[in-house]
Amino acid sequence: MMELTLKRESSRIIAGLIVSFGLFAILPLFIGEGYVSLVNEMLILALAACALNLMLGFTGMVSFGPAGLYAVGAYTTALILIYTKIPFGIALIAGPVMAGLVSIVVGWFCVRLTQVYFALLTLAFSQIIHTIIFQWYGFTRGDDGIVEIPVPAFFHSITNYYYFSLVVVTICLCLLWRIVNSPFGKTLQAIRENPHRTEFVGIHVRRYRLSVFVLSGFFLGMAGSLYCGFNKNVFPNYADMMKSTEMLVVCLLGGIHTFLGPVVGSVVYMVLDKVITLYTEYWPLVLGLVIVGLVIFLSGGIVGFISEKIAVARQRDTG
Amino acid sequence: MSFQGFIIQLLSGLSVGMVIFLIAVGLSIIFGTLGVLNLSHGSLYMLGAYLCFWLSSTLSQFSGSFWWALFLAPVAVALFGGLMEVLLLRRIYEMEHLVQFLLTFALILIIGDLCKLGWGVDYHMVETPWPLNGPFILGQFIFPRYNIFLILSGPAIFVGLWSLIRYTRLGRVIRAVTYSREMASALGVNVPMVYTGVFMLGCGLAGLGGALVAPMSAVMPGMDMVVLVDCFIIVVIGGLGSLTGAFLGSIIFGLVHAFGILVAPRLAIAFGFILMIVVLIIRPWGLMGKPE
Amino acid sequence: MLRVENIKKSFGKLLVLNDVSLQIKKGELSSIIGPNGAGKTTLFNLMTGHLTPEEGRIFFKEKEITGHSPHDICRKGIGRSFQITNIFPRMNAYDNVQVAVMSWKRKSRNIFSPAAKMVREETEEILDSVGLGDKKEVTAGLLAHGDQRRLEVGIALGSHPELLLLDEPTAGMSPEESLRMVEFIHILASERGLTLVFIEHDMSVVFEVSEKIRVMHSGTFIAEGSPEEVRANDEVQRVYLAEET
Repeated sequence: MMELTLKRESSRIIAGLIVSFGLFAILPLFIGEGYVSLVNEMLILALAACALNLMLGFTGMVSFGPAGLYAVGAYTTALILIYTKIPFGIALIAGPVMAGLVSIVVGWFCVRLTQVYFALLTLAFSQIIHTIIFQWYGFTRGDDGIVEIPVPAFFHSITNYYYFSLVVVTICLCLLWRIVNSPFGKTLQAIRENPHRTEFVGIHVRRYRLSVFVLSGFFLGMAGSLYCGFNKNVFPNYADMMKSTEMLVVCLLGGIHTFLGPVVGSVVYMVLDKVITLYTEYWPLVLGLVIVGLVIFLSGGIVGFISEKIAVARQRDTG
Repeated sequence: MSFQGFIIQLLSGLSVGMVIFLIAVGLSIIFGTLGVLNLSHGSLYMLGAYLCFWLSSTLSQFSGSFWWALFLAPVAVALFGGLMEVLLLRRIYEMEHLVQFLLTFALILIIGDLCKLGWGVDYHMVETPWPLNGPFILGQFIFPRYNIFLILSGPAIFVGLWSLIRYTRLGRVIRAVTYSREMASALGVNVPMVYTGVFMLGCGLAGLGGALVAPMSAVMPGMDMVVLVDCFIIVVIGGLGSLTGAFLGSIIFGLVHAFGILVAPRLAIAFGFILMIVVLIIRPWGLMGKPE
Repeated sequence: MLRVENIKKSFGKLLVLNDVSLQIKKGELSSIIGPNGAGKTTLFNLMTGHLTPEEGRIFFKEKEITGHSPHDICRKGIGRSFQITNIFPRMNAYDNVQVAVMSWKRKSRNIFSPAAKMVREETEEILDSVGLGDKKEVTAGLLAHGDQRRLEVGIALGSHPELLLLDEPTAGMSPEESLRMVEFIHILASERGLTLVFIEHDMSVVFEVSEKIRVMHSGTFIAEGSPEEVRANDEVQRVYLAEET
């Protein structure tokens, strides 16, 4: 019986995937290039948010510093493209690989701690990455950023790069989906729910936390590299706290406990961003108010649902 | 480097440290008692600076305008903080850290833009008030008088707070609530009011820090984030929730900063973070904090 | 099977366990009873690696496990249920048990295959044996208290333990529920050849089911023996049973 349900479910998911991909693919035929560019940006943001959510929503690790790894990806690709003649494809892959390597080092330190201290440590590392990029003027061009990055002529067209991003993001999301639904993914959720108990079903929790930190970093770097190719510029503020918070807000907007939540969140966020900035220069103020509203009033919705169920888990904690 | 140069560097570091102490101590106390990491603390500092500027220029025809501003700005910030606590923070105490982070970050955005709305994006200056303007001269040694004032204020406030916590009834109540909210409540303490009070105290201190710093450096957008990150470093080093820890952490931070600039000026910013990382790895609860 | 030698454990200045020793034989069904604060749960925590003793050693199947980490000890064959319900609240009952089974089968590192089809038979078998076969899709946090306690045991069973430590499995249950719970555990144990150690407060349960009872008070064992022997023991009467009534 369950066999049948599973088969039906997975064919539904695959159907949904093909339909959405199809919709995104035919989009450029209907809307102007400016909008295509926006959707492209949204796709990359969605990838970054989903990468973050692997840690955040599925493993319960709150990181204040995803932007650091995102920037590592972006800058690695940028630096390779301007200093060497290595082809674009390789430069692109080098970004997430480098981000993954940096995540191993950063993660090794961070997963020794939990909760607030974990969060603060991720912030510290992210700020260090920012400082390095900012100060190493000779190599990274510091505050000026790296501009006019040479990408293959094929990608000078907005539409072409859009299709490229769509394919890359879709592949990455499929990989992330596989991970979330694998035994590893289930174990991560158990760690989120009750790390103490998970330890006692034979899982070395810290090692799993490190693994997910690195996976998350890899995909964050991928998003960064994609953005580098999209924007053809990179700047130190790719690593700052505002960027990290943007990713966190996107996750929370859409819901951190579902796989597609961050994707929804990135759509909503981008729409809000572009619409609001048409009317006022005080976008931070409006965003702040939106977040406050979300936190306080949407208690029936996403946030409340999370908190409600947390109460069940908390009962266990205070024992 | 000469002995004099060394002393000057030392005092520079201490004056920076003492200002940040005021903000860090508020952050630390709030975390210790309420359990919330108030990200908007830097913004309250900035608000204090702006209010000091505004008040001292508005009242400039009266003598002693700066001193009035120095008194009123923190009070205003404390009241604003009280409003924040009652209207917003109260609802999130029971929620996960992520939610608290987002709400307090949202406040950074809101307060930051409100300051821009109120005072524009240009930077403003506040004149150093008499009798603190000008240098302090002792033989060959020259150092700004205002900085000496700052260096002296730090320990004064520290001693004041410490005495408050240690020797007064209010301090005992705060300690009780910090130790166990449930127990204090069971003993008849009005915990929500204590929470509001402590939060207002923390905010007032941040506002005071901002007001004090106004004559020394420009009042402008962005000063909130710089100080916030520095505060994190200090409270981690000193121990979240510890008054003495915040004081020691500030001193260490100030000195590391001052001497770091001499050793490797471009990486000086990173020294604080490296120190923070080292502490988080070896002794995450900081110098004076308690292990979980 | 399990041997504890001269364990001492303090929390700060408080000495919780003072020179405690015991031996548990394979297949035995025993209980540890004692007033609150006697140190029973601490003893369990030491056995499962959640705490390390200052002095003394612990052996499982003749191999030393003192100070080993919990995930290591779990793999060696010790399972446990906890005093306060320790499940995965937002996952459904099926997932709760499946995580344990997958871990046991060392499949947890797999990031490529879908988990849904894995170890299905075993997981369902365990769910059926704890009486939750029809509730596998229910979110664990929403289950009734008694069901949650049984899910706990189910998770513990997922790790294929040889020795099962149960910390107050009947906590919060009515007398009939408690008896049913213990009977069901007893049946499970004999079906799977488990060795059981209970910590319990419910005396009827303890005396009904245990072959051997150990009484703990203020960090040491004050009595050990069959139910009749313990019931007749004067000191036990004075210290514990009198307080209970």
